[in-house]
Amino acid sequence: MPPQSLSSETNIKLPFSFIFFSFIALVCSQILLLSNGQFMTSGTFRIPALWSAAHLIILGWALMTAMGAMYQLVPVAFLTKIWNETFGFIQFFVTAIGILTFAGTLYWAPQDAFIPGALTLIGILMFIVQMLMTLRKQAKPNILTAFVGTGLVCLLVTISIGITLIYCLSTGKGTEYYQPLFKTHLLMGITGWFTLLIFGLSYKMVPMFSLSHGFPMVQARYVYGIYISGLIITIISIFSGNDLLLKLGFLLLFIGFTTFSWHVSIIIKKRLKKKLDKPFSFALSAIGFGNLIHFVAFVMLFTNHFSGLIGPLIYTYLFLWIILSILGYLYKIVPFLWWTHKYSQEIGKKAVPSLKQMTNEKVITILLSLFILSVLIVFCALSLKIAILFNIGQVMFSVTFISIALNTLNVLRK
Amino acid sequence: MSLVEKIREELKSVYDPELGINVVDLGLIYNIEVTEDNDVTVTMTLTTPGCPLHDSISSGVQYCVEGVEETNNVFVHTVWEPAWSPDKMTDEGKRLLGR
Repeated sequence: MPPQSLSSETNIKLPFSFIFFSFIALVCSQILLLSNGQFMTSGTFRIPALWSAAHLIILGWALMTAMGAMYQLVPVAFLTKIWNETFGFIQFFVTAIGILTFAGTLYWAPQDAFIPGALTLIGILMFIVQMLMTLRKQAKPNILTAFVGTGLVCLLVTISIGITLIYCLSTGKGTEYYQPLFKTHLLMGITGWFTLLIFGLSYKMVPMFSLSHGFPMVQARYVYGIYISGLIITIISIFSGNDLLLKLGFLLLFIGFTTFSWHVSIIIKKRLKKKLDKPFSFALSAIGFGNLIHFVAFVMLFTNHFSGLIGPLIYTYLFLWIILSILGYLYKIVPFLWWTHKYSQEIGKKAVPSLKQMTNEKVITILLSLFILSVLIVFCALSLKIAILFNIGQVMFSVTFISIALNTLNVLRK
Repeated sequence: MSLVEKIREELKSVYDPELGINVVDLGLIYNIEVTEDNDVTVTMTLTTPGCPLHDSISSGVQYCVEGVEETNNVFVHTVWEPAWSPDKMTDEGKRLLGR
């Protein structure tokens, strides 16, 4: 039994920097959404304030949180240290300044968003370089590497198309490609980058948080193959305008996601930990929501009702699949980071709290349930175009989301 | 009580902070060796390679054993072969997991 060090702890200031920033972006995005709700209920999504709010929540909150989580989880999942932590801090500042100025110019002067957008792009490119260099150091690449690596490629494509869209907008060039580029930007950003990232990291976190052992991993290859095929076929259909290919693409995305849900259920059945932690249970429920939304999207497309529901469906996919997953895992990651900072030198010397004792599961259950409820209210309001219902749902959503942020940060008082 | 038994008993105060179960009942402690000079080598594992609590738990084991009066130098080796499996848990560990 030769000793082997697979320790891969990251300087916690790095993931924490991203997570702190993300909470600030979250609050700003909610204020913008609340003050521009009338446009959303009328189906007018493409206005500067909503562009700004959407990018603050997707780039400022979800992407920055995902980056922070990856700085923590990639070493854990891939058994390798972060390539260069100093580079990581520089990347944080470049990306943070980029996103803040980008969101600001989108709001006040969208035509001038190119340079801040480019700065954001540089920050994200630095992150991709950091992660790819880290993954390169992995001794034995596996299917998780394929998910996360492909997710990073999707992120690169998403932001490249985003910059191209801003270029088209500011110069008036390539307007004939604007629509397909915009749809691909959404597809690659949401179902490409975020979904593949969550799939990949879930394969490490689900067994870790449920203490599952002896489960098969062959299904993960099917998930990867089917889902990626769905993405590629959907993109081809967007540019070719082939309706049948679009339906096939959506069907494959749905089957790929369903295979993932089925595989996670197999892993969970093999768990040793009988009672799962609440935040983790919510992260698991997000898989069910994601699966359901893929199903509804396919059915709506098949019955030619998709165009009327595309906005509300993207909204729920973003919040009930991607963001609920991130929130569930964030409630595990933040206590862990703080515990490591505060108690890792105390363990073994005196009694220290468990990670579970650093959070209040009852409060988390209430907050995340309210989060789901408010998203469903907003979904109904957007689908049925009821302004008053939207305002109720959005106020409830913003208050709940900000409460979740504060509740997560409350761990720092423990 | 031998020093090995005493150390094993003391290690029951070191908890995996994620699971809330001590390292002994979790079956993480593979071996405890004590030389004539009371130098101690603990061979241990974790439930999963790359566990984010790797450094914290192994340091906890180190601090704990160093805190046992009779011990001299303490070495903690974390190994992945043989891999941890549920059958390495004690009955108490299984009970705490709700099995």
